[in-house]
Amino acid sequence: MGNNAYSILIKDVYAAYHGMPVLEGFSLQVPEGELLGVFGPNGTGKSTLIKVCLGLVPVTSGEVRISGYRMSRGSVSFVRKLTAYVPQSFDVDRRMPVTAGEVVMMGRFGRMGIFNRVGPGDQAAADDALHMLGVRHLAERTFGRLSGGEKQRVIIARALAQEPRILLMDEPTNSLDWESKKRMCSLIREVHMERKLTTLIVSHDIDLLADTCDRIMLMEQGRIIGARNPSEFRHCCRGHGHS
Amino acid sequence: MLELLQDGFIRHAILAAFLAGVACSCVGVLVVTMRISFIGVCMSHAAFAGALLGIILGLNPTVVALIFTLLAAAALGPLADRGNFSPDTSLGIIFSSTLGIAFLLLSLVPGPKTEALGLLWGNILTVGKMDIIILAAVMLAIIVLLRLFFKEVQTVVFNREMALASGIPATAVFYGILICSGLTTVASLNAIGGLLVFSLIINPAAAAYQIAPDLRSMFFISALFGVLSGWGGLWLSCLLNLPSGALIILCSTLLFLGAVTFSPKKRPWLADAMSREPRSEICQTGDRNPEADLHDEPETDSRQPCSKSALMEE
Repeated sequence: MGNNAYSILIKDVYAAYHGMPVLEGFSLQVPEGELLGVFGPNGTGKSTLIKVCLGLVPVTSGEVRISGYRMSRGSVSFVRKLTAYVPQSFDVDRRMPVTAGEVVMMGRFGRMGIFNRVGPGDQAAADDALHMLGVRHLAERTFGRLSGGEKQRVIIARALAQEPRILLMDEPTNSLDWESKKRMCSLIREVHMERKLTTLIVSHDIDLLADTCDRIMLMEQGRIIGARNPSEFRHCCRGHGHS
Repeated sequence: MLELLQDGFIRHAILAAFLAGVACSCVGVLVVTMRISFIGVCMSHAAFAGALLGIILGLNPTVVALIFTLLAAAALGPLADRGNFSPDTSLGIIFSSTLGIAFLLLSLVPGPKTEALGLLWGNILTVGKMDIIILAAVMLAIIVLLRLFFKEVQTVVFNREMALASGIPATAVFYGILICSGLTTVASLNAIGGLLVFSLIINPAAAAYQIAPDLRSMFFISALFGVLSGWGGLWLSCLLNLPSGALIILCSTLLFLGAVTFSPKKRPWLADAMSREPRSEICQTGDRNPEADLHDEPETDSRQPCSKSALMEE
């Protein structure tokens, strides 16, 4: 496959975070349209992988290409407009004066550019994202007063409002109870299919990855050590006593 | 009281209180929502140290104060970004350094230290035309920048990393906020004083934070509180013949205490009543493709409360 056939192409990347090496000789190819999971225990470099794709963590060597564009100082701003990021956690004070609707609209601001105002197209994209995630009724609520699951759906709606090609999710079920996790799994799959995205999820949640992903890569100590399809992955994890 | 308004210095003081109140409180909104409140303290001491150096060297204290605050602002950003320290730790280091430098320079000021101490306490009743012009210019610059870049500022204030990841120039916005706070501090130095200006930056914004439902109204409420603090303190100063700077700060503190006491955000039912749309118990299914079932579960239609989803999420 040529380089341009991959939405995410990472080749022999070395990356450090706060001076500590995290990714060492890391390589990953994600074809366009795939919903790929990356599984690994805490501290293995999963979050750093996502941040490398966003250019938030610089690489000391190797190559990162997003939708065929090589990540560099000059291209990083453009590349970030192709990707949307759902972080692992977002510490927001309960009294922060911002509504859920405003949070979703923020997803449009990077695309709009400086000096430009919100137009009908931007409003429509934000409304569409709110509706798709089933949080339109929360649009006027203060974001900080939403429940964990509601906040997560609003943040995903914000990511979709960006109209990205690639969705990057870091532990999207982190703060959710079991029932909410199940709903989130089907929601992510439906969003991925409906919007024709390439999606990369990093998580240590076996059920999320097995129920949602087309393929799961196993990660350990900053490297990929194997790949599984969902049923092999679930069987493999149960066999090793992962819960 | 009305006779006092005949005096030019009182009119200057009223105008200075208005301009400083608006400028400081607008910057304060950014500082409070980004949780870098200590930056006001750092900037005020850096400005004071710079002004003292200007007096010692026989240069314009305002210009040297500006250079010092810009250097402090330029040091804060990289320390917070690249070091292993949180922004608060970086601020603490710069604060203690500038405080040490300031008091060292104070001891080196030749002759009577009246002018130097005036920069520490401030005196709004002695502001001149140049101080008014500088305050007006800084206030207008801040308002224009906020108007032009409001959406970028709002995104960075919410979450800086997410803003950066979505293509917003978050680093430039952050440094812009630091520089604006430095400019505001320097412009307010003569009127409010190096020791007290950080209170005028923080208190009105912190009070507005307790009340405002959204960021735009937080700016307006904070500015209102800043101006009320300035005018209230000035009026009390004329009435009681007490230092104006201290009274301005005490007025802003009283406003903060009032806002905390009566904050609708402590009473969710009141916050809901004050929000633009009250909390709805009905899930809206929207008017998109009725085949789509991405948003709500089948049992939650527009006639029923979204009890299952509410229970699951709460």
